[in-house]
Amino acid sequence: MSTQTLQPPAAPVTPRGRVLPSPVTGQELILVGVIAVLWVALALTTPAFLTAGSLQPLLVATAPIALVGVGMTIVIITGGIDVSVGAAMMVSSVITAKALVEQEVALPVAVLLAVAAGGLLGLLNGLLIAYGRVHAIIITFGTANLFLFLGLQIFGSRTVNGIPATLAFFGRGQEGRTLGLPHAFLITVAITAAAWWYLRHTAGGRHFFAIGGDPHAARLAGVRVQRRVLLAYVVTGLLVGLAACFLIAQGTSTLDQSVGSGKELAVIAAVVIGGTSIMGGRGSVLGTLLGALLVQTVTSGVTQLGWKSQLSDLFVGVFIIVAVGADLLRARARARRTS
Amino acid sequence: MTIAPPAPQPVAEPARESAAGRVLRVLLTQRIALLAVLIVAVVVTFFVQDAGGYLTAPYDFDYMSASLINAVPLAMLGLAELLVIMSGRGGIDLSVGAIVSLAGMVFGFGYGEWGWPLWLAIVVTAVFGALCGAVNGFLVSYIGFPALIATLATFYAYKSIAIVANDQQPISTPPIQDLYSLSGSVELPLIGQYIPDVPLGIFTFLLPTVVVVWVLLTRTAYGRRLYAIGTNDVAARWAGIEVRDTRFKAYVYAGLISGLVAVVTVGQFASARPDAGVSGSGMALPAITIAVLGGVAITGGVGRVAGVVLATLLVVWLNAGILLAFVGNEGAQYQLLALGTVLVFAALLNGLTNRRYGGSR
Repeated sequence: MSTQTLQPPAAPVTPRGRVLPSPVTGQELILVGVIAVLWVALALTTPAFLTAGSLQPLLVATAPIALVGVGMTIVIITGGIDVSVGAAMMVSSVITAKALVEQEVALPVAVLLAVAAGGLLGLLNGLLIAYGRVHAIIITFGTANLFLFLGLQIFGSRTVNGIPATLAFFGRGQEGRTLGLPHAFLITVAITAAAWWYLRHTAGGRHFFAIGGDPHAARLAGVRVQRRVLLAYVVTGLLVGLAACFLIAQGTSTLDQSVGSGKELAVIAAVVIGGTSIMGGRGSVLGTLLGALLVQTVTSGVTQLGWKSQLSDLFVGVFIIVAVGADLLRARARARRTS
Repeated sequence: MTIAPPAPQPVAEPARESAAGRVLRVLLTQRIALLAVLIVAVVVTFFVQDAGGYLTAPYDFDYMSASLINAVPLAMLGLAELLVIMSGRGGIDLSVGAIVSLAGMVFGFGYGEWGWPLWLAIVVTAVFGALCGAVNGFLVSYIGFPALIATLATFYAYKSIAIVANDQQPISTPPIQDLYSLSGSVELPLIGQYIPDVPLGIFTFLLPTVVVVWVLLTRTAYGRRLYAIGTNDVAARWAGIEVRDTRFKAYVYAGLISGLVAVVTVGQFASARPDAGVSGSGMALPAITIAVLGGVAITGGVGRVAGVVLATLLVVWLNAGILLAFVGNEGAQYQLLALGTVLVFAALLNGLTNRRYGGSR
């Protein structure tokens, strides 16, 4: 038997073409179009709409939803969900408000406190979901009740009064703007951009998508699934803390018990309108920002047109159906092309 | 989302099991047994506290019976969630509370403003609820929306329509106010002297719903189909089951039950409130909690009527006791703590049971 020299295998052909999906999805382009149409329509019907006095509050109000939406997008990409963010916002904001009133803490301390509180609540969610191996929606329904209890206990009375204007940097006023743009919105855009880059261009970011696609395959491919899932909920918690600061700054000097109530559904609505698949594995934080902007545009537009403000919820519902329906149709068309 | 490394399969069952091990296995795998034990524990705890004088009012059988009025909407909506969660593929209905609000307004207009006879108003309200459920079912089953998204959207829509319908005002005309008498307690015939009076709603709404859902699930072909599509809808399709039609109907039935709950709620409040089912944390979350606590698997295909009923009793009697154990507003807050703890506990237990014994019944 002659010894055969083993041929080295041919160098693998470097795959040409895209590995990543295109930087901007169709859903996002449509959203930009819809928002543009709405803004033009609103500008034509109510002359006051396209003024700084109307757009600045719109951007300020978008910020907390879009910010928590960044975390929620990551959570949903991993195939989970977090319905406790509204209650967590309440806990974070009441702790911070109390610290502002009673300890008169400075701005950085207040922000750190809020973010730490939110992070801890997110850690609890993450530990239960990643290591308790229980479906996320059930656990977060449960922790939402626990957080509400915690928040109400800290509230003690119905309201926290006399909150100093320490957080005005994030607020609606003159101190809260640079070049006419609200700081809260700028920070949100910056964090969204960072998250967009992280999710798209780093291995750690791609792991979230892998987990959402198939957690078992991801584990076999060497992804530390439980740690990544834990991280997703902790990040959401940290962002909830920052959003709580925005909420305090946007309000009056009084914080009441309804703070954060119903915000979890608004955040989820923004995420799904932005084109993130609730089944996991697909989504974009850019879409979430646009989704939040769209929801807020509708809310603000309904009020400016002089309609009943509760009608905006109806439009939010319709937008969810249309956005997700369009996504379903595109997915069906994609499936037909490939098969 | 379970991300468990596959557990090593035990080669053979241990030949003998200690008595304690057997009790533990029964409690963990038989949700009914666990709930029964917990109910006894809760009731005994509050009886002891009552005897020790720690409660603000007596916790006795009369009080327990009167508190059952809260069980009527809770158990009915729990059964509605049972049907949709059982239907599988991430089935859930966030919109039941909003349907209660909206159908309640329909009932308020029909019976309170337009003077319909009571039976007609109830039938129309229930049918209207079923229509709202049909929208959910159509979106989920025929179009393919994830249930969470479809019912989140309809939650927003129904809630908004209910509030706008009468310009945020509740309807509480005299005929509606007279309905309050329906939510009183009655003495049962024959044995009534020996047991406490029972809220009328138990007999007029809750028991019929429980019986009908039980018969539907365990004694009809539809029930078997529902279990089949919830367990594995691909296999069910190959078995010749109309998967979409079956799932669609689960949402319709959930809407129908929500419509009936609307009538109960209007009677309890003596007014058709536009935010009846969505104020506070709404009615959907407690209903889902009840279903999960009652052993309904969120992945579908597993769930029993008895579990939901026992879970309701546990939560209602626990809440009733907590109200007496604290003064003023505190009680309502500790109810949140109890509900959250019980839900997290039940969910972790479900996970543990699945890993240790391969599922519960």
